[in-house]
Amino acid sequence: MAREYDHLFKLLIIGDSGVGKSSLLLRFADNVFSGTYITTIGVDFKIRTIEVNGERVKLQIWDTAGQERFRTITSTYYRGTHGVLVVYDVCSGESFANVQRWLHEIDQNCDVVNRILVGNKDDDPDRKVVLTQDAQRFAERMQIQLFETSAKENKNVEEMFKAITRQVLETKKKQLREATQKNSDATIQLRENSAKKKRKCC
Amino acid sequence: MFYVQLMDIAKLVQKTLTPNEKCIQAIECARILDGKRTLRYAAIVINKQEHGVFIFTALRVPCLQSSDLVLESVIPIDGSMRCSAEAPSQQTELRLSLRSPIINVLIEMPKSDPSTLFLAEIKKAKDVYSQVPAFGEPAAIFPWLEKYKRQSTDFNQSSGENPFAEDIFDPLKHMSLDGTNMHVVDTESSRQTTWFQDDMSSLSSSYEHLKPAQKSRSRDSLDKILGGDEDYTDSMETLQWSLGISSGNELPILGKTISSREKIVKKFLTDRELEFTDQHSFRIYCGTWNVNGQSPPDSLHKWMVVDAEPPDIYVVGFQELDLSKEAFIFTDSPKEVEWQKAVKAALHPKAKYLKVKSIRLVGIMLIVYIQAKHKGFIKFIDSDSVPTGIMGIMGNKGGVSVRFTLHNTSLCFVTSHLAAHQDEYERRNQDYKDIMSKTKFKDFSPPLEISEHDIVFWIGDLNYRIDLPIDTVKSYIKKGAHKKLILEDQLYRQLQANSEIFRGFEEGFPNFDPTYKFDSGTDNYDSSEKNRVPAYCDRILWRGPGVKQLRYDSHPQLKISDHKPVSSLFDVGIRVLDDKRFKRVYEDIMKKLDRLENDHLPQIKIDNTELIFKDVKFVEPQVQVVTVANVGQIPVEFEFINKLDDQTYCRPWLKATPCKSIIEAGVCCEVQIEVYVDKSTAAKLNSGEEKLEDILVLHLTNGKDSFITVSGNYMTSSFGSSIEALIQMHGPIREVPVAELIEIEQPGSLSRVDITKDGGRLYMVPKEIWKMVDFLHKYAMNKDELFQQPGRNSEIQFIRDCLDTGRPEHIPDSLSVHSVAEAFLMFLESLPQPVIPYEFYTKCLSTSNNLLLSKQLVTSLPGCHKNTFLYICAFLRELLKHSDKNGLDIKFLCSFFGEVMLRPQTPLFTTASAKEAVVKERRSKLREEDAKKAAFMYHFLSNEIEL
Repeated sequence: MAREYDHLFKLLIIGDSGVGKSSLLLRFADNVFSGTYITTIGVDFKIRTIEVNGERVKLQIWDTAGQERFRTITSTYYRGTHGVLVVYDVCSGESFANVQRWLHEIDQNCDVVNRILVGNKDDDPDRKVVLTQDAQRFAERMQIQLFETSAKENKNVEEMFKAITRQVLETKKKQLREATQKNSDATIQLRENSAKKKRKCC
Repeated sequence: MFYVQLMDIAKLVQKTLTPNEKCIQAIECARILDGKRTLRYAAIVINKQEHGVFIFTALRVPCLQSSDLVLESVIPIDGSMRCSAEAPSQQTELRLSLRSPIINVLIEMPKSDPSTLFLAEIKKAKDVYSQVPAFGEPAAIFPWLEKYKRQSTDFNQSSGENPFAEDIFDPLKHMSLDGTNMHVVDTESSRQTTWFQDDMSSLSSSYEHLKPAQKSRSRDSLDKILGGDEDYTDSMETLQWSLGISSGNELPILGKTISSREKIVKKFLTDRELEFTDQHSFRIYCGTWNVNGQSPPDSLHKWMVVDAEPPDIYVVGFQELDLSKEAFIFTDSPKEVEWQKAVKAALHPKAKYLKVKSIRLVGIMLIVYIQAKHKGFIKFIDSDSVPTGIMGIMGNKGGVSVRFTLHNTSLCFVTSHLAAHQDEYERRNQDYKDIMSKTKFKDFSPPLEISEHDIVFWIGDLNYRIDLPIDTVKSYIKKGAHKKLILEDQLYRQLQANSEIFRGFEEGFPNFDPTYKFDSGTDNYDSSEKNRVPAYCDRILWRGPGVKQLRYDSHPQLKISDHKPVSSLFDVGIRVLDDKRFKRVYEDIMKKLDRLENDHLPQIKIDNTELIFKDVKFVEPQVQVVTVANVGQIPVEFEFINKLDDQTYCRPWLKATPCKSIIEAGVCCEVQIEVYVDKSTAAKLNSGEEKLEDILVLHLTNGKDSFITVSGNYMTSSFGSSIEALIQMHGPIREVPVAELIEIEQPGSLSRVDITKDGGRLYMVPKEIWKMVDFLHKYAMNKDELFQQPGRNSEIQFIRDCLDTGRPEHIPDSLSVHSVAEAFLMFLESLPQPVIPYEFYTKCLSTSNNLLLSKQLVTSLPGCHKNTFLYICAFLRELLKHSDKNGLDIKFLCSFFGEVMLRPQTPLFTTASAKEAVVKERRSKLREEDAKKAAFMYHFLSNEIEL
């Protein structure tokens, strides 16, 4: 009760330039949307505290520059990340095609990490070129959950962030269980050892 | 077994401390980490009243001096520290777990007197701390311990700038090594003894733990002992922690610190309580009875069931429950059992009840029941008792209290037995004040007091009397003139006068006869010799909004005691939380706070993140200014940081000034970004191996990183070109196509077939060298201080352009000889391979004392290098011929040009300080090398050498 949060997770948003990474973050953290496009030159973060399964989770969400020329530098920011959002623009086939590269980028820079696939700008059916079923098929093949969102219309943004947070939380719980298991094994061993020792003494 | 108690360890530990600090005990022990046991020393250190446990590792065993001890861990013995000890009966060791919010330490020590002493010291220290008046303030951090914490190896392992460091999974932290799993260890079957276990939240609660058996039986689990139909797991206290977000006005904590954010959340929630709560009416029954040590009658129904509808909460208070001497000494009381049973049996038959809590102080007992349907909405149950009897410490008089939070309203119930006798109302007042001020609910930090509750009910034998002659009282009673009686009542008068006694409390009009004092078993007032005046001793008062009294009665039918029981029924407004609305408000508050936190992150704006430097020339700096504006609300600290695995924040030809600084909110900082290509960086840019491209990472402490891209084009120059390439260029370098430049800069470009075929087309020496030497030959022979006076920058740049563009064809005679001399030296120093190539460097030094070998070496140089070397030597000899006029001497020229033409291949120093360190280390060696270089040169400057 006393702590301001039960968990602190670092999330990272990656994807091609202009797919709406910063917009997703702004919508989620500050609940605002700005139509004017300002390209992110660097990495920025915001925090947001949410409740998942009755636990308070503080998220520190890092937004990265998507431009190709920064690719090597941004890869250093993958360190210590618990979850990664790979974002593409449903109106840009190219940004979807590049998802594969971004996933590879994750494999190169992270050990264990939860991932989620986000098709942003899902607010204008006329301009949509990446079909939901194609994206879904791809997501299933890559074993990654897909969300189609719109930062502009605040569609699915909250749900998507909650989903990745839930994944991260589950992973942490799993690791915790395994470690506790290991630890209790060790305790038993310790008891046995000291018992043996005693016998020797006597 | 390595357990040896060394008295000396304490002395050694003392040596590591400052004079203010004293090691009071030290002991050898084993620390258990990841299941392994390793030797440690544990010491208790005191500074004034504050104690800490220090854990040391030993560099060698036995330890002989204080430097053999390495501090591993420091645990302050403060309010947040918890410890527990267990002594498994089958083992010779006892195990001690110390836990602070930062670290867990589990140690084992032999079951011996020193160990027991050690435990006792820790416990004592803990108690001392508990008595410090400021207790309850979580902020208490022992400042003197900080330096040791930083020293300790445990601290250093876990520290670091990673904001997630605290979040790193630590299995030990999550293993319950203490309190929480203690009761499991405590069971019979495990055959272990819990020595003491202590949540250290207060002195009295630690006392309770020393006698867990007695306390628990007398208080909580009575229903279980009596074989009641309620399962122990139904007991409310176990439920309180399973609740989700607390919404009450208070949050109990268990030795943890409440963060400032948490406090703000609490405040916001309290402010907006009306938005997410509705007032629901709950019926509360209060009954009080001084039973004069009697056993209960057959049924309490007449007293406890006063309405057809079952109350939601039963609050039943007793006084003089047990008048036996044993009740003072033993915590068990057979009378308690009887009365508990009787109360339970008399609960309203139309509803199912659960006991919330009961608490007894000698003869004063309070029992609280609640309808089972409210189980999920009650939390933070706590109780306390305050004795005010003989000497102010005996429990014959005093008060006991139970508090809990129902939905969103905090309730407190007090029953008290205040001082007796007609004239002692001042003592009664004092008892009230003591109970009011000394009752502390210690699950809370700081402990919660009675006055901090939304609603308080105070019931009991308050013992206030009627200040009228006995005959008058009795005649009023006969007439039923209760009003006249109450007007002269000591408590009523004080309430009316709004005195400090029971300030804020209300009482209904007791429309019944005084409840004291009767001949037991009758309805007759006291007929004994003492002939006491009848009085309204037994009262029910309340404080707080939304309380409506429905009934206020006495029950003369119950005759066993010299008092008649009193009861009252209330409708009480309880603020009930609306989950949906609460969640909305809570989330709204969280969002606001997140927003606030985001707004207070460092924020900057950079006016230009893409810098293009056009036509960068050799030794001609270009500067662009980037304005960094602090647009956030707090001062920001920025710094250009290294990216990836780089050793520096940028390429060697780039510089940012300042490269770190602090900017106040609303203020701008101008950062100069300078591109400067000099002799050390020109070669790679010339050959195309490197480009003018870099990204600067501007990092804000605790904030974002911004990238500044720097790019540009470099104007190729003869400065920084290789001798091999230069002798292949016939025109000025600027007229050579880039592709060809790259090709002729490739190693071995001289052996290309087409070049050797037209062998005559190669220059003997680079024409640029020739041009400068020719100039110096013409104009400098008789000039003083040649190579010693610096040239002019603008002229050097002019010479560079002249050589690179061929315009003008020759260096104009208007230029200063010193500028040309400096350009000449710069030219030689910029050569990617020195005149004597790197591979010949060591050989040169070793042959420097031998003329013949030196000559042979020069012969073996690549042709163009050999020619250049001999050409320069010839020019220098020419200069020496005029030494009477130009003042040059051979020694100076030898060491000077030795440096220029003989250069070792040094690693590229990344920073000036790194270079300095290497130079320092090699200084003597360098001096030796310099002498050898000069000696080598001397062969060629002193004589005209025929090769």
